[in-house]
Amino acid sequence: MAAADAGTSSSLARRWPAAGPTRVPNWVYTDPDIFAREQERIFDGPNWLYVCLDAEIPNPGDFTRSRLGTREVVAVRAADGSVNVLLNRCAHRSMQFCTANRGTVKEFICPYHQWTYDLGGKLLGVPFRRGLRGNGGMPEDFRPEEHGLQRLAVASRHGVIFASFAQPNETLEEYFGPKILGLFDRTFDGRELKVLGYQRQRLPGNWKLYLENNRDPYHASLLHVFLVTFGLFRLDQRSATEMDETGRHAALVNQRGEQKLNDATAQMRAFHEGLKLADPRLIDPVREYPGEATVVIQTLWPNLVVQQQSNGLAMRQVVPLDAQNFDLVWTHFGYADDPPEMTERRIRQANLFGPAGYVSVDDGEAMLLSQAGIVTDDNAECLVEMGGRDTASAPHTVTETAIRGLYKHYRAVMGL
Amino acid sequence: MIGVAPGLNAPARLRERLADLYGAYDEALGEGEYERWPEFFTEACVYKITSRENHAAGLPIGLVTAESRAMLADRVAAMRKTMLYAPRIMRNMTTGIVLRASAADGMRLSASFAVFQTLLNEPSAVFLCGRYYDRVVEDSGELRFAERICVTDATLVPTSLIFPL
Repeated sequence: MAAADAGTSSSLARRWPAAGPTRVPNWVYTDPDIFAREQERIFDGPNWLYVCLDAEIPNPGDFTRSRLGTREVVAVRAADGSVNVLLNRCAHRSMQFCTANRGTVKEFICPYHQWTYDLGGKLLGVPFRRGLRGNGGMPEDFRPEEHGLQRLAVASRHGVIFASFAQPNETLEEYFGPKILGLFDRTFDGRELKVLGYQRQRLPGNWKLYLENNRDPYHASLLHVFLVTFGLFRLDQRSATEMDETGRHAALVNQRGEQKLNDATAQMRAFHEGLKLADPRLIDPVREYPGEATVVIQTLWPNLVVQQQSNGLAMRQVVPLDAQNFDLVWTHFGYADDPPEMTERRIRQANLFGPAGYVSVDDGEAMLLSQAGIVTDDNAECLVEMGGRDTASAPHTVTETAIRGLYKHYRAVMGL
Repeated sequence: MIGVAPGLNAPARLRERLADLYGAYDEALGEGEYERWPEFFTEACVYKITSRENHAAGLPIGLVTAESRAMLADRVAAMRKTMLYAPRIMRNMTTGIVLRASAADGMRLSASFAVFQTLLNEPSAVFLCGRYYDRVVEDSGELRFAERICVTDATLVPTSLIFPL
């Protein structure tokens, strides 16, 4: 985008605080012009956006809807087994032609004027194209091949489908970088996946707050009683805060510990030595991945959080609505070859996550309360200095480095 | 008022007892007396909250899954002691209760619910509505839910779901 273009928006007057990555100005969470620029440069830009899982559309003709930024797409399995991701907007009058969340079709027909498209988005039919009894019809030089549905670039890996409105000059693997790709492949090791359920919630906050939340291991040890007390994620346990070279992707890694008072838990108001579950089946995890980590939470720029917390697996898709609201779409999954006991475990542990989750409720409410504080002063700043002022990965989680890394990348993309 | 499916015989006394169960449930939740909530269920109960979308597709993960009265008690303990949330009042309204079938494992009922949420200093708003699918049994002289599946019409929850439906 040309710099002169940005000159027409109020955001040009915005200046990032002089303290750089250790400060985040509140206007990035509130300004509609900033939001518009994010859609243009981030969601329409050369990034691989999470769309859905292969397992949601196993057979030819199976489709599912997904939202990438403020745009909506339909992912559909073609006859040859490949996946097409098409803009859910008729090439005729911009109508949203697909209104079901998922299903199976032979072709897409826009209900308004019955323009018909094949599963690759090619325009197959226009009723009365030749007119009727010599009257009307489309002009002689109307070329159907120029009026197909917009089709996105698609990349997938081990059952996870990504797409882009621009053609990224990086493969998906290059986009993630070796470190993040290794963690991605830890969960998505090529085994067939199985969807276990969906949850959606609308959160009154800026979408970036959610990425920050999942890149902020500091809060996890203070806010979340369940994680802290039961040792599911705590900063005194073996842990790491990882990022790719750009800072756009991050992963929080942690290893399960005990419900024991020590010099760290003594500083956590959230730690309850005596808290016991009346039915302990809720937290009865088993190890299922090689290595010592029992939790890996990845934020994959710009719209996905991959959750592996004990045996709880979920894709958390971030869908920005406007500067101050976003939807979070949770797709809980397991592996197709899970024994029934493992599926039961995943179902029980899902009680920790989602709009009603023992852990995730805290985060949803934190989004609401953060935004409520932010809107009171656009010119105030958030402070991000835990763990230093740099943006490097860290062999611990007593740090906000991954938030600083996020904004290092964000500023470069946004020209701020 | 309890409706009865055609061909099913339900004595007036039974209908009264069912109406009392449903009324007391709404009252306990509406008044925020959540400590009473597990007592409406049997010890080995199943309680779920899920969306119509998941329910229709047979997907097992919804919003809440509990497999015992103890798990319900754990949820009460969590909302009282561990979860962070802005203060609110929830009000449950159950209507259209129909006794659908009666068998050895209990009575099957369905009902519609609407839950209103009032956040502090905000207007009241519909939070979720949907349908209960229940199995009610005699349990030590009381009628209790052996199973309550709350199926929400909406796929989307406004912010968070803290309290039970």
